[in-house]
Amino acid sequence: MARVITVTSGKGGVGKTTTTANLGTALAIQGARVVVIDADIGLRNLDVVMGLENRIVYDLVDVVEGRARLRQSLIKDKRVPELYLLPAAQTRDKDAVSSDDMIDLTNQLRQEYDFVLIDCPAGIETGFKNAIAGADEILIVTTPEVSAVRDADRVVGLVEAAEKGPPRLIINRLNPRLVAKGEMLSMDEVVEILALEPIGVVPEDEHIVSSTNRGEAAVFNQSSQAGRAFHNIARRLNGEHVPLLEPTEQNGVFDRLFGGLFGRRART
Amino acid sequence: MTSRHRRKSRTVDGGEDAVSFFSDLFRRKETSAQVAKERLLTVLVHDRVKLTPEALESFKTDLAELIQRYFPSVQPSEIEVSLLREHTSDRLKADIPLRRALD
Ligand SMILES: Nc1ncnc2c1ncn2[C@@H]1O[C@H](COP(=O)(O)OP(=O)(O)O)[C@@H](O)[C@H]1O
Ligand SMILES: [Mg+2]
Repeated sequence: MARVITVTSGKGGVGKTTTTANLGTALAIQGARVVVIDADIGLRNLDVVMGLENRIVYDLVDVVEGRARLRQSLIKDKRVPELYLLPAAQTRDKDAVSSDDMIDLTNQLRQEYDFVLIDCPAGIETGFKNAIAGADEILIVTTPEVSAVRDADRVVGLVEAAEKGPPRLIINRLNPRLVAKGEMLSMDEVVEILALEPIGVVPEDEHIVSSTNRGEAAVFNQSSQAGRAFHNIARRLNGEHVPLLEPTEQNGVFDRLFGGLFGRRART
Repeated sequence: MTSRHRRKSRTVDGGEDAVSFFSDLFRRKETSAQVAKERLLTVLVHDRVKLTPEALESFKTDLAELIQRYFPSVQPSEIEVSLLREHTSDRLKADIPLRRALD
């Protein structure tokens, strides 16, 4: 029985798609059967981040409107077995999908997979409501910035109103150097402000840019700190106890210099 | 007034100016992360209770009226009402300095 998890944020551009792609890939690398769904109708993106854009035949709306069966619409990942993508439609009709459609869809997938991850569109309108309709759990992504944290709190209220239980928090693009200077909110501060349980901190990482350019998840890249952070979040999702520490510049540098030598890894 | 302006107008033995000089110095030490945190704590409570600044103002006026009915010596201008976040709970706080009642 799959766990259906929606990745949401309120504000756009904070890393929902990056998180969905990397978490989905990490879970599959760790042995789970995973489907990632792009619920951002009209602004399809998860396909390019995962490098699967050339393989799309059918999409979410084709399935909902009965033009294609769910099974034949799932795109198999190039590298990881048991990782599948259901792409978003590029239609402009935002009402092409309803909450009931999403509940049906996720229920069909529950039988055959371990995780269904849903990449939510920005905002708190219909697209957001559809994306959380079928979810058992919610992950909220924020960056350590006032506008992103504020929007995250709005989403927390809506998630609670939808009786989805307390969401867990992913803090993305944290820059340890700025935190050390007091010029960026720390993990602890964001956690305190939002009063949510954190499931991971992902540092700002240039590898995300190059990985996205190539259409390969950063979790494949051994030297990507963000990739390691996503692996750790995947382990925590699986119930493994992986300590969550505030990332520091030192452990970044230490990691780069001696990480391979001593096999030590920054636990972000 | 920026801190630079204030410092210029500081007099060597000027009581109040010296105080504002030091409080400015202190404020300058506040990092942008601290400022962000304080601002967020306030804005989140306002968002959560969906109270407009106008509504908060009219609440303050009503509260002052009520308090004055029972404590005539309280100065309405000294009443401070704030919405804030402490640990994990949001609260409405009113700080009302009391004065000795006149016979
Ligand atoms: N940890 C990170 N480090 C560096 N860049 C990042 C990180 N996370 C996301 N990005 C970049 O930020 C941008 C927005 O990310 P995206 O996942 O598309 O956000 P959303 O789906 O929430 O709109 C993308 O260009 C992405 O590559
Ligand atoms: Mg996106």
